[in-house]
Parts: sequence; structure tokens; C-alpha cells
Amino acid sequence: MTPAQFEKQIEPRWQKLEKLLKEAEKSHPSAEVEELPATFRQVCHDLSVAQHRMSPQRLTQQLNALAIRSYRVLERHSAGGWEAFVRLFLVEFPQAVRAEWKLFWWCTALFYLPAALIAVITPSYPEWAMTLLGPDGMMQIESMYGEASKPSDYVRESFGSGFAAFCFYIWNNVSIDFRTFAGGILGGVGALFVLLFNSIYLGAVFGYVHYSGNPLTLYTWVVAHGAPELTGVVISAMAGMRVGWSVLRPGRVERRTALVLAGRKALPLLVGAAVLTSLAAVLEGFWSPMDLPPVIKFTAGGMCWLLVAMFLMFSGRRQTDAT
Amino acid sequence: MVVARADTLQSVELADGVEIQLRVAGPAVRSMAYMIDLLIRIGVDILVAILAFMLLPELVGMEMTNGLFLLFVFFMEWFYNVFFEAGAKGATPGQRSMKLRVMSVTGGPVSLAQAVMRNFLRVVDFMPGLYLTGIVCMLFTKRFQRLGDLVANTVVTYAEVPTFMAPHVEIRAERRAPSKVLTREEQAALLQFLERAPLWADERRIELATLARPLTEAAGVEGLRRLCGMALWLQAPEDKSGTPPSLKGAGMFRS
Repeated sequence: MTPAQFEKQIEPRWQKLEKLLKEAEKSHPSAEVEELPATFRQVCHDLSVAQHRMSPQRLTQQLNALAIRSYRVLERHSAGGWEAFVRLFLVEFPQAVRAEWKLFWWCTALFYLPAALIAVITPSYPEWAMTLLGPDGMMQIESMYGEASKPSDYVRESFGSGFAAFCFYIWNNVSIDFRTFAGGILGGVGALFVLLFNSIYLGAVFGYVHYSGNPLTLYTWVVAHGAPELTGVVISAMAGMRVGWSVLRPGRVERRTALVLAGRKALPLLVGAAVLTSLAAVLEGFWSPMDLPPVIKFTAGGMCWLLVAMFLMFSGRRQTDAT
Repeated sequence: MVVARADTLQSVELADGVEIQLRVAGPAVRSMAYMIDLLIRIGVDILVAILAFMLLPELVGMEMTNGLFLLFVFFMEWFYNVFFEAGAKGATPGQRSMKLRVMSVTGGPVSLAQAVMRNFLRVVDFMPGLYLTGIVCMLFTKRFQRLGDLVANTVVTYAEVPTFMAPHVEIRAERRAPSKVLTREEQAALLQFLERAPLWADERRIELATLARPLTEAAGVEGLRRLCGMALWLQAPEDKSGTPPSLKGAGMFRS
């Protein structure tokens, strides 16, 4: 067969594929598109033959472009919508945390231990915390948790309404989660840095309130939203560390492959952290400013911590990975 | 299929067993696309800000407007690219205007998860400024992948492979069998030369043909003539149509 005959022979096939593709790319394709996979395979075959026979470039390029286009159409997967998202959070996220339980406890320890250390030593040695917080930080703490002040007044003054505060927390805190994760790719250094910085700052705030403010106001304010928020901070760092660790120790696969695999494992963690932080923003915007007796605040706060812990421990246990 | 090594084509084998070629896009054109997206984003942000702060404060109050606007900025910052890249077109408006498209390395469209990964890691690719990390990383990977692309397993390719229309040109050269046994790659190079030669100036043809001197054992116009003759022979060893006798120099190519 001469090249010209070959070209003539395959032309109706790729023209048919082109027609079918146009049809399939419409929003309501006709039943004709069912022939697409078969036609695609034929054209793929033609492309292989054309490549092997070193047909003119314009022919191979045309077939190549068609093959790419069809493959996109055939492989298009719908993201699954809200159902998939809910599943990602309720099932895959806690599963991912449990699968990486060592990393979780490391990150938890790296977050809470330095914070506790700073908080404990600050009442005796307040200089460190004062340096960390700076004059602005100290002023803010005075106006929130001082002897005669309430955090809800401060928040009302700065944001106006609970909703505005909620939006601010989403914008600020969820962005920090995302950045913490991204920083993790630098061998985990970025995520670790953010984690430790947040830890020390948090410790300084608690220590300083014990030193010069009213600890009860602080605890009633943070106890509820702290549960999802602090867990979110830890888990976003964990997602970053997961990716960073694959750079440092790829294990038995190539580093490039390890990175891709780690990314897949980190995604549910990242999404989970973002959702937890968003929940924290809801609580911090609407629940925490309510003036309620400390007993109720502490009961609700305790419930929040319990709920987060139970969720991470038990949610999605019955679901297998296969589904 | 044989491709010159200096090309930006990347072969990918599809699940169906066929090999396709992706033309990956380099840092320059991607920067252009990014700049366009940046301008669009800033423009939309400003527009929304103007509209929101003109209309909303009377309806919901100033604080609420502030909050809503922050939410909007948050979504624009993190999800503008994700939304468009995971969509049906697989490209942001900026990328589309540059005829680019984000693809999975496997040749398929990007999933939502991949789009999230590659775009959230922009933070690191941007460091220490102006996407320096990303550009350096692109120069060190053969598919021009920045860190986000590496983790998400994606590439940015040209959406349309430029299909050049080879003019129908009659090449008047005498068919001749090559003096040596040629490998498949060499044969392909010769055929591509013949296909593209009509698009060049005469000096360029001669210059390139002279590179094949070990094969043609002649330089200048004679080399070009012999090279074309061999390529014609590769196309069809026997002449059936009765091509007119060959002419000299530029006269070889007649449209």
C-alpha cells in the first residue's frame, strides 16, 4: 500500500471521530456518541501504523491531536460533587489521620509541648513572652483578657458582627493552613516552622494572660473553638510534613513517585484541616462571643474536644478503602 | 515515531496502548498566561469591591460587606485556578488565551485533587519571589514541571498542536537509493526534510543539506539534489508517475 492509499483509507475514520467528538463536547450529545470509544481505538491504531510507517508529519500530528482530544473526553471524570466531598471529610480524612498516627502524634507533641513550656515559665520569666508578643500583642491581650475586659467586646469592636468575624477567620486561618501545607514540601521545614512558631506564640499568650490578665476569660473564650482550630493547625502541618517526609525519605520508590503518592495521601488531611478550621471559625464567630456562664462554656468546650477526638478515632472505621 | 531530541514533545503511552505526543509548554509562555490571569483576578477583585461596597452596605451593613468581600478574596486567591483547571476546558482564561492546557502526565484531564495540589503549592513555587523556585524547578525537569506539577503529576501543554499545511510542491529531483543503509530515525529525518524543505529559503535548504554530506558526498546544490532524491526514493522507490526531469537550484521546488 502506498502512503497515499493509506491516507485515503484511514481518512473516513478520523473524520468520523472528529464528528463524534464535536457531538460529545456538546452538553446534550446524541446517542451516536456511543460509537466514540470504538472509533477512538481504531484511530489510535491508525496513529500507531502511521507512526511506524513514518507517514507525513501533518497526518501523524492530526491523528495525535485527535487522540489527545478523544482521550480527554473519554477520561473526563466528574469530581463527584458534594457527596464525594462529604465522604472525603467524614471517611477518608479520619482514616488518613489514623493511617499516619505516628506523624500525628509527633506533630501534636511538637505543637503542644513547646506551647506548654512557654506558658509554664512565663509567669516566672515574663520577658520571653513579652518579647515574642511585642507591645501590640500585649495591648491586644490586655484589651481582650484583661482584668476588666471581655474578648467579645473587643471582637465586636474590631469586626462589628459575628459574621464579619467568621469571614475574617476563614480568610486568615484557612489560608494559613494552606500555606503551612505548601511549606511542607521543603523537606517539611516550612510546615515545621509554622507549627513551632504558632506553638510558641500560643504558649506566650497563655503565659502572659496568667501573668497579667484574667485566665478565666481566656479559657471560657477559647475552649470551644480551640478544639477544631488547634487540631486543624496540627493536621495541616501534618499534611505538609507528609509531603516533606517523602522528599527526605522516599523509601523504595523514586523520589518523584514518592512525592506524587505523598500528595495523594496528604490531600484528605489538607481538606480535613481546612474544614476543621472553618468549623472553628463558625464557633469563634458565633458561639464564643456569647455571654454565658463559664459552666456552660466549659461543658460545651469539653464536648467539642471530645467530639473532635471521637471523630478522628472512630469516623469511617467501618468503611473499607475499596469503596 | 521519531522526534528530534531538542524538541519539547513528550511521548505518553495511553492505556489503549497507543503513544501520543504532548507538546509541553515552557516557562516563558506560562509566565504570560500567569500575568493575564493575574490581571483578570485583580480586575475582578476591584470590580467586585466597587460593586459590593456601592450596593451591599445599605442592605446588610458595612461589617457584613467587609466580611463577604474577604470571603470572596479568599476564594479568588485559592480557587480561581482550581476552578478553571478542573473544569471541562482544563485551562484558566489566561492559559486559554495562550492556547495552553493543564493535563495529567498520563495524558488525561486533571482531576479536582490534582488541580488543588498543583495550585496550593504555588506558595512555595513563588518563593523567594516571582516564581523563582518554580522556574528553576521547571528548568531541571524535562517536562517543565514546577514543584506543584511534580506533586500533582501534571504538565502544562499546548492545547493545539500546530498543524502546518505543507504546500503541494512538486520536487524535481532524480530518485536515487541512499548510498548507505539508513536507520529508521535517519529515514524519518530525511522524509521530514523533504516535507519541510519547500517552506525554507534556498540558502537554508542548502545549508541543512550540506550537513548530510557524509550521506550525499556532495555539498551545495548538488548535495541538496541528492538528498531530495534519496528522500523521494524512500517515499516510493520506483517512479510511476513519470516526474519531469530535475532542474537546477531553486527550480527544484515547483508548486
